[in-house]
Parts: sequence; C-alpha cells; structure tokens
Amino acid sequence: MLSAFKSIPTDMDYKGQKLAEQIFQGVILVSAVIGFIYGLFVQQFGWTVYIMLAGFTVSCFLTLPPWPMYRRNPLKWQPAVPEASGENRDKPQESQKKKKHK
Amino acid sequence: MNTVLSRANSLFAFSLSVMAALTFGCFITTAFKDRSVPVDIQVSKVMIKNVDDFTGPRERSDLGFVTFDISANLQPIFDWNVKELFLYLTAEYSTKSNALNQVVLWDKIVLRGDNTKLNMKDVKSKYFFFDDGNGLRANKNITLTLSWNVVPNAGILPLVMGSGHKSLTFPETYETIKSY
Repeated sequence: MLSAFKSIPTDMDYKGQKLAEQIFQGVILVSAVIGFIYGLFVQQFGWTVYIMLAGFTVSCFLTLPPWPMYRRNPLKWQPAVPEASGENRDKPQESQKKKKHK
Repeated sequence: MNTVLSRANSLFAFSLSVMAALTFGCFITTAFKDRSVPVDIQVSKVMIKNVDDFTGPRERSDLGFVTFDISANLQPIFDWNVKELFLYLTAEYSTKSNALNQVVLWDKIVLRGDNTKLNMKDVKSKYFFFDDGNGLRANKNITLTLSWNVVPNAGILPLVMGSGHKSLTFPETYETIKSY
C-alpha cells in the first residue's frame, strides 16, 4: 500500500516552492494578527488559538498538495545523450575530476 | 520543500513560532496590570479553646474559632490572560513570643467562568487556627485579610492582597463566645 502513496507525484518546481512558502507564511501571519486582535477584543485567548488553527488548516490545504500553480516553471533538462558515445566521454571526464579533487 | 513532508515540517514549525510570539503578546498586554480589588470582611463569632496540639512542641496551645462573612467583586481581575484565582484568608497578629504570625484560615479556587461575585456568609474556617503557644487569649489585634494568587495563561503568578481588612480581638477566657 505504501508504494501506492509513493507513486503519487508530490514535487513542485523551484519557483513553485518559493510561492508555496510565501503563501503559507502570509496566511499564517494574517490569521495570527486577526486572531490576536479578536482575542484581545473579546478577552478570551482561546479565540486567538482557534483562529490560528483555522489559518494553519487553510495554509495546509493551499500548500501541501502539489497544485498546478506550483508547477508552472518546470526545469529545462538537457536532452538525453545516447549511451554508446556517452560512456567514452564519461571516463576521461571522471579521471579529470579525480585529479581536480586531489 | 520538494516533498509533502518537508513542506508540512516547515509549515508546522512556522506556526509554532508564530503561536509562541502570540502568547508572548498576550503576556505583555496584561503584565503591568494592577490586580487588586476592594474586599469586605465581617466577623460574626469568635471563640477560643486551649487544647492539646500534637503537632507542636508544648502540651497545650490556643485554638481559635472564627466565623466570618466575605464579599468582593472579582470581575475586574479576570482578563484574557487569567485562568483561575486562588483566594486565601490570612489572620495576622503578634504575640509576646513571636513578633509576626500569619495563619491561613480558609481558601477557595475561582475558575474563569465561575461566578465572580463572592458573597459568602457565616463561613467557618477550613483550617485549624492554632497559635504557637498561648498568645491568642485576649489578643487585641488580629487582622484578617483576603489575598489571591493569579494563575495566568502566560507569564508570572502574582500574589495580590485585596484592599480592606478586619481587625478582631479574642475573648479573655476560654470557651466563651464573643459576638460581633
């Protein structure tokens, strides 16, 4: 059953991740300010906590699933190189890399 | 932030930090408030006995019996940072052997949401009013005060004394009742 969960794609591209972080930080901060002011007004700290929890739930819904708006800038990968000539090029490159590390 | 768990971790940690800041804000809005209200204490009956005190070093000690009325309006103390109040009635006096004695006679817990108008009549003391010796007989000045400990949601627990006290004297002989 776990493999079924793992096969669901959950990734976002980089601009999408930045947007998701901005969204959840904004939603939680706004709900914190609203909650603080309302709790101060009715003099019950419980309301502040409830409004914060509501903000947390809303931002969970907005940012945890990989909505399409977070996938609008996918990375442009290089086209795959066929393997036969690729191996010959790889080996001298690897040996060059080892020399650089030392 | 590429996986759901990583986003969930980041979101949850941020929410906790914001919640901690809000709790600090709640503390700051009520940190410098004066939590004292006027209190009215009346005493109806006072009696004294001289009995065996097994907890003390001597054979017999004075045991006082006080019946009192308390009335106070505690509503101004409760704000969004107060969870409950722990009230206690203290008798303070001095004797020949001890300069300062303080004895707690009665206490009560008032939770937020309970009735905040305190109007108790003919209350007997909850705890024994033993003296360290025989200093209660004919003692001219015993002062009763009501104090409370404010238990907050966040912050310091201050001990506040209510304004208003009652002085009483104990009778000269044992087991005679003095009415006020």
